[in-house]
Amino acid sequence: MLIKILSALNVGLETLGVDVEVNIANRGMPTFEIVGLAGKSVDESKERVRTAITNSGIEFPSKKITVNLAPADIPKEGSFYDLPIAIGILSAVTQCIIPEKSLFFGELSLDGSLRHTRGVFLMALFAKEAGFKNVFVPKQSANEAAVFKEINVYPVERLSQIMAHLLGKQLIEPIEYQEVQGVLKRQTAEFDMAEILGQEQAKRAMEIAASGGHNIIMVGSPGSGKTMLARALPGILPLLNEKESLEVTKIYSVTGNIPAGGSIIRIRPFRTPHHSTSLVGLVGGGNKPHPGEISLAHRGVLFLDEFNEFPRSVLESLRQPLEDGNISITRSNGRVNYPAKFMLVASANPCPCGYLNHPTKACTCTLREIKRYRKRVSGPLLDRIDLHIEVPSVNTEKLSQDERVSKFLESSEIIRGRVEKAREIQQKRFEKETIHTNAEMKNSHIKKYCLFSPEVEKILAKAGSAFQLSARSYFKMIKVARTIADLADLEQIEPSHMAEALQYRSRFHGES
Amino acid sequence: MEEGVVDIKNKKYPKALKEIKNPPKRLYYRGNWDEDIFENCLAVVGSRRMTSYGRRIAEKMVRDIASAGITIVSGFMYGIDATSHRASLDGGGRTIAVMPCGVNIVHPEYQGELYDDILKNKGLIISEFEKDFPPDIWTYPKRNRIVAGLSKSTFVVEAALKSGSLITAGFAKKYKRRIFALPGPTSSNVSEGTNRLIKDGASIVTCAQDILDFYDIKKSDSNNLNFQKAEGLEKKILEILKREPMEIDALSRMFEIPSSKIGTILSLMTMKGLIFQEGRKYIANY
Repeated sequence: MLIKILSALNVGLETLGVDVEVNIANRGMPTFEIVGLAGKSVDESKERVRTAITNSGIEFPSKKITVNLAPADIPKEGSFYDLPIAIGILSAVTQCIIPEKSLFFGELSLDGSLRHTRGVFLMALFAKEAGFKNVFVPKQSANEAAVFKEINVYPVERLSQIMAHLLGKQLIEPIEYQEVQGVLKRQTAEFDMAEILGQEQAKRAMEIAASGGHNIIMVGSPGSGKTMLARALPGILPLLNEKESLEVTKIYSVTGNIPAGGSIIRIRPFRTPHHSTSLVGLVGGGNKPHPGEISLAHRGVLFLDEFNEFPRSVLESLRQPLEDGNISITRSNGRVNYPAKFMLVASANPCPCGYLNHPTKACTCTLREIKRYRKRVSGPLLDRIDLHIEVPSVNTEKLSQDERVSKFLESSEIIRGRVEKAREIQQKRFEKETIHTNAEMKNSHIKKYCLFSPEVEKILAKAGSAFQLSARSYFKMIKVARTIADLADLEQIEPSHMAEALQYRSRFHGES
Repeated sequence: MEEGVVDIKNKKYPKALKEIKNPPKRLYYRGNWDEDIFENCLAVVGSRRMTSYGRRIAEKMVRDIASAGITIVSGFMYGIDATSHRASLDGGGRTIAVMPCGVNIVHPEYQGELYDDILKNKGLIISEFEKDFPPDIWTYPKRNRIVAGLSKSTFVVEAALKSGSLITAGFAKKYKRRIFALPGPTSSNVSEGTNRLIKDGASIVTCAQDILDFYDIKKSDSNNLNFQKAEGLEKKILEILKREPMEIDALSRMFEIPSSKIGTILSLMTMKGLIFQEGRKYIANY
């Protein structure tokens, strides 16, 4: 007797339909075989399925069982074939009816319950796009699939429960549909901007970076508050919009980064890989190409603390993703594309000892050491960072007594309000384009959307000679000025916007 | 590029150098050997670990002095030496670098650009050592005697108590040349040497004219031109910055203006040349 159950397979972020064919033959030795390029984790499924069925109080058929995973020429990995295989066997035993257009997906535990499984979100997305009606997934992962109106998502707790459902004894209630906008969560951060005393310019730069999605580098002595500023950044970023939310959830679901019971992701990712992170860990790769930190930071923030301490090869690998917004990983067994549109936030010390230009501590580095230290980050990489700021060391005790400091203190919520407004303006502007933020503008967009008066042009020309701006920095300044103008809610870039943008030009790493 | 060697018996040998006790027997050189260049020489020496104060003053004063036609002699080391060479080129003047090694070696090697610029601007690279002679610990003091010997006077910008700059000043004293010293804060260890020189009778330098007077040169006063270009708030900021260099955040607090606005003004002022930035701090260009 041959039963066909439908399931799905994730290759990178692509999903393919998989037919799980289960044949139970009355003749032959009682065996249990899985074919169709099953990897180790799929092969082990045999023992899980056998034990789970037995522990659910159903006798495991003592017959020759053959399972084929079609298409049979694509290697398969993962534990989520447990459920379709078990259902296939059980439907042969109990003669239950498998509803049409149904997908099964989930890992079994030995006691017959279903475990949280990675990739449920992608599978549900595939079900919606391929016109399926029902999906059966583990209850703990079902929330991920709840955002698709078109399909019925059945949260399954135990194997016996789904059997009761299929036999029509006791039906499982499909999970309630939830709008993406409805998954409301406030963007949270470790620190509030109001907790950071002083650093007015750095905070303003953060606001601009958050508004336009610009990359930013902070240079400052140890203890000046670079890390604190970066960690406060998530608090001023707007929530993900629906499209972004789905993109991010895809990556997090497939890597198993959504916790059990978790829903789709609305909060912008904030990733902080340590400087010992390998190249593969950062950009992705491996034998079976998996997404790296840059893809996990998609639509969010990639914070690289101690920027200069990262190996040069690792940093240079960021160049192409920074430009293209995605990374394509090619291995002998295929190529995978992962999105990687992130905002890079870097922090660095001004010199190896860290105290160059420090008001009270002396720097012990020689000129040559400083030059070598700064050379670790290449010009082309720095060129892709729009905002450069130096974060001064502050005397917090003195500042907390200064009344004028508190005058400028703003909570993250107030700043986020302005950021959200600026983002809305950008969204409207780029409605017909493929980009979302000012930082993504190419030269053609700049000509189209960055209007300014001759006076602004004069400032730019003057700055070009006074600060020796390169052609690329020239465009960077225009992009930053565009964002500043958006923050001021103005259509045209004013001279003051351009002059402020010049504050954030690069002046620390040779190129000025 | 011209290069060669000048023997002590040669008529072209600089007179001032001949007067010292143990003049080098021959001088190797690169560049254009023109006797004029030795006419009015000023040695500018100072610490390798200059402070921002030392650098600012060296840049400003040396530029003015060099543009008045005085040749700046120094030792091509990084720090005050390199700053002085660069400032004299900026001022359109000529400069002589006395190397502690053969003239074909650029030492320190990363100052290749400065080396080339000195030659391009009718300057000279000289040394008593053969062309490919490597620098050694004993060659520096020997080099210093030439720096002092070539010059009518020596200007010490910043120096610690035990430093090569004070050795140069010692030579200048021995050769009965005038010593100028820049006074500095008593708390700075690179001003201890210069302050000691002043105590011992060196001439205090507070402006470029102090040195130009010694060479009998008058220079038109270009001060306070900046003020005419500064307007309103710019004027106030400029006055504050003249008193003390400040960071943008501090200025923002002082005037109670958001840093975005202050940043706008500071950018414009920088472009006008009213102020410049060093590290975090803005400094008035006086």
